[in-house]
Amino acid sequence: MLNASDRLSVSKAFVAKVVVFAACAAALLTFPSWAANPYILSAGVVVLSYAVLSTSWNFVGGFTGYISLGHAAFFGLGAYGTALLITKLDLSSFVAWFLAGVGVALFAIPVGWAALRVRGASFVIVSIALVLIMLLVFQSWSDFTGGSNGLVVPRPFPDMLRPEHHETFFYLFAALLAVTLLCWWLIDRSRFGMGLKAIREDEDKAEALGIPTYSYKLVVYVVSAFFTALGGGMYALWFGDLDPVFQFSILIGSYMVLMALLGGVRQLYGPLLGALIVGTALEYFKLEFGDTQFHLVATGLLLGIVVLFMPDGIIPAGMKLVDRFTPERSSIREMTAAELLERDQSESSERAGRHASTPSDPEPSTTEKAKR
Amino acid sequence: MSEYLLELNDIEAGYGRAALVLRGLTVKVPAGSVVCLVGPNGAGKSTVLKVASGLLTPRSGSIVVDGVDVTGQGPQAMLASGLAHVLQGHSVFREMTVEENVMLGAFTVRDKAKVAERVAFVQSLFPIVGERWKQLAGLLSGGQQKQVEFARSLMVSPKVVLLDEPSMGLDPKTTATVFDQVVRMRDAGIAVLLVEQNARRALETADVGCVLDLGRVHISGPAPELLADPQLGALYLGGRPSEPASTKNR
Repeated sequence: MLNASDRLSVSKAFVAKVVVFAACAAALLTFPSWAANPYILSAGVVVLSYAVLSTSWNFVGGFTGYISLGHAAFFGLGAYGTALLITKLDLSSFVAWFLAGVGVALFAIPVGWAALRVRGASFVIVSIALVLIMLLVFQSWSDFTGGSNGLVVPRPFPDMLRPEHHETFFYLFAALLAVTLLCWWLIDRSRFGMGLKAIREDEDKAEALGIPTYSYKLVVYVVSAFFTALGGGMYALWFGDLDPVFQFSILIGSYMVLMALLGGVRQLYGPLLGALIVGTALEYFKLEFGDTQFHLVATGLLLGIVVLFMPDGIIPAGMKLVDRFTPERSSIREMTAAELLERDQSESSERAGRHASTPSDPEPSTTEKAKR
Repeated sequence: MSEYLLELNDIEAGYGRAALVLRGLTVKVPAGSVVCLVGPNGAGKSTVLKVASGLLTPRSGSIVVDGVDVTGQGPQAMLASGLAHVLQGHSVFREMTVEENVMLGAFTVRDKAKVAERVAFVQSLFPIVGERWKQLAGLLSGGQQKQVEFARSLMVSPKVVLLDEPSMGLDPKTTATVFDQVVRMRDAGIAVLLVEQNARRALETADVGCVLDLGRVHISGPAPELLADPQLGALYLGGRPSEPASTKNR
């Protein structure tokens, strides 16, 4: 395929893609060995966890266009679910982690069943309400969840030292990210994905074409909740300490949305790129400006700039920039009206000739009428 | 195959509690022909198509597709029974490719060989669809988008295609192309029920014409006869029958 001359341009793009992908993957996977110190390494883990969450969010946001600001609920439930299954039922860490993911997916079915009946702003508000309800429940039910005192999650690898622990979780998050991306990619290429994208474009038209829009939305919502919960559970195992105010914060949910929008919701790597930029910036601001709220201001500014200048996200904006420097491709029409007329006349005479020689019409009488 | 592919018998329909829009309307679409509904604004032309495609349930009357009574069924069932509706205005998915648009039309068709066969068919019927296969549909011109919509509606192998104002927003020359395409669909064995504001142009294309007024078929007959009728011309076609069709809009 690579040396077939007629597919040379396609192959070049393909090779470039593979090279870029390999370079990025290599840079990502060797990060623990060139990270300056354990703090930087832990920041890398945080950024990767954001990437997992944002990509998980993008199952709903990217495919159907439904903006959920409440995915922090699934993040928190995944984290608390994992912790509670370990502490209350004595399950081993990763069994608890997976079961929590499945449990949250089941929980997402009735939630999605109710929430996906409304569109647009109403859906956003319903999703926010979900987080607030979860926050109140987990704060108030303190004899079970630990309430505001927090909940300590037993470590899965008690013998590990801190840098080693970070490094292990860096790779665990990377693997989870890879699976999430793979799943998104598979849906993107499937018939299911095509139906979802039609919903994003115009739900009523999609319905008219026979797409079962409601069940499609529900399925992808549950998939999204599942991966978000796995991200939350992984976070709980890594961080080791949960607090309802942090786990069920609107801010976490907003970060997922911001990162995906920044990178580009229609692109596989959009949320990942957004997480790398926003996550790194957040960690940097926290390091430089400590406990001030400056990182929030900076995040707000960033969101404003993106919405104003690159509403489709960084990846599409970058592709447009590259496009500017490539030779112009065909526009809608390259012929003058006179040329078009000439072409149409020659075409219609051709067609008339074809019709006369091959009568494909089932009912000759109607062709007679057409000649009128 | 029965004589009529689509029969709307004595239909009464309206929106909500408002007055009836269709008051005992009867339209029959014979196999292999183009039937055109013309009439003033508010006569109920678009409503006829909504009833036929199941978007609006009639209060009384019956809908028969190829001999099978389908009265009261929803849009998806109507689609399955062989009625495809091409909506008014531009209805392509702009941010999706031509290919994705056309394939979405075949969403209810599970047989892959059948889908491939239909793709070849619509590409031969509308060459531009094949030429622009991988482009975003929103980047096509209005006339090209209309062809993508036609192609999308033909993916389910419909017996009858319902066209709601296919010439809307198109220049006179592109309009002529679109009507040419309607004839090609008819010649490929698909019956067409056409609603048009561009009445004179539409009647020149159609085999049978129905003039609607106040929710009933006022007069119907072979399209050339309607065109030749001077009184109808004055009442519904904007008079001056000698005027070239390409310069007229209403």
